[in-house]
Amino acid sequence: MFGEELKQFQRLGFRHVLLQVLNFASVIASGLMIWKGLGLITNSESPIVVVLSGSMEPAFYRGDLLFLTNPASEKYKTGDITVYKIPGADIPIVHRVLETHDVVKKKSKRSKTALTGTGEQLLLTKGDNNEVDDIELYQGLDWLERKHIVGKVRGFLPYVGYVTIAMNDFPQLKYALLGGLGLLALVQRE
Amino acid sequence: MHNIFSRVNNVSALFSSCMMGLLVAIALSTLLFTADPKGNLNIASVKVFPMKNRRVSARKQDLAFVNFNITADLRPLFNWNTKQLFLYLEAEYANGQGAKNEVVIWDRIVRRKEDAVINVIGKNKYMFRELSSTFKNVPPAHYALKYNVMPHVGALTYGEAGRTLEAVPFPESRERVS
Repeated sequence: MFGEELKQFQRLGFRHVLLQVLNFASVIASGLMIWKGLGLITNSESPIVVVLSGSMEPAFYRGDLLFLTNPASEKYKTGDITVYKIPGADIPIVHRVLETHDVVKKKSKRSKTALTGTGEQLLLTKGDNNEVDDIELYQGLDWLERKHIVGKVRGFLPYVGYVTIAMNDFPQLKYALLGGLGLLALVQRE
Repeated sequence: MHNIFSRVNNVSALFSSCMMGLLVAIALSTLLFTADPKGNLNIASVKVFPMKNRRVSARKQDLAFVNFNITADLRPLFNWNTKQLFLYLEAEYANGQGAKNEVVIWDRIVRRKEDAVINVIGKNKYMFRELSSTFKNVPPAHYALKYNVMPHVGALTYGEAGRTLEAVPFPESRERVS
């Protein structure tokens, strides 16, 4: 069954195989570069996320794609939809900001400039589809802070992210897809 | 090379690029709609009671209770790329130290154009508390009715549909007589 392919392989020669491997690697590398570049521009560790839960229904459903930015100079406002990650929790959560409280830094003897800084903001969030706010989700914290926030939702594309959810739910699909792509990249003649 | 594989490949590539073009066009078309409807917001009363809420603290703290009236016609915000409207009423105040605070006290999701004529006599849905646990010495607060237009595809937009003309002071905290 694989005799034909093997013969083709020998006909193409070792250099061609190497070239295909190189092509494959450059595709992966440019993908990674685009992802990290987007992260730099948007100041967010993951500028595109997939909605994993139904707590923001009917605004966002499972599998919707969200585009995030997180400008350091911009404060969070109520009504903003943020993606946050609590240390210790493994998945990020997409919820809407319910309360913001600016905290004026106390003037300390060591840093007198602290008062002119933007200061910290304490945030409380809530999912549109949840009855109560998120205090229970914060794992002991009373408020969210900027360091927990991955980004603010700016744009929205429905359904597209469902591919990744399907791949997580059925790992066989993931391996089949990766293997198929890899094989195609190696065998293709042009 | 006109085998079945390349044909399927070409057709699906064409389909997906057409789809992308269409989605981008729809998302951009939203920028042409610049409706900015205004409504009326009226704060009927504000009361402050010291109360205990076990979810946030074991001690007593001041909670504010706000009664309000809203009338607004937000139908112009609905266009062909509007999935829903998230409407919220927030209180804005600067506390004694001058730090800004924003607290959402009421919200509503509007999913149909027919429901976008808002006529509400209501009270706050969410707990309204101060960080320092008391509203004593907190300057009067402004209230604003804001909305977030969520599209079927594209960018989220925000706007303001109403605001109190004058700041509403917090009354003295007093024990509830029952």
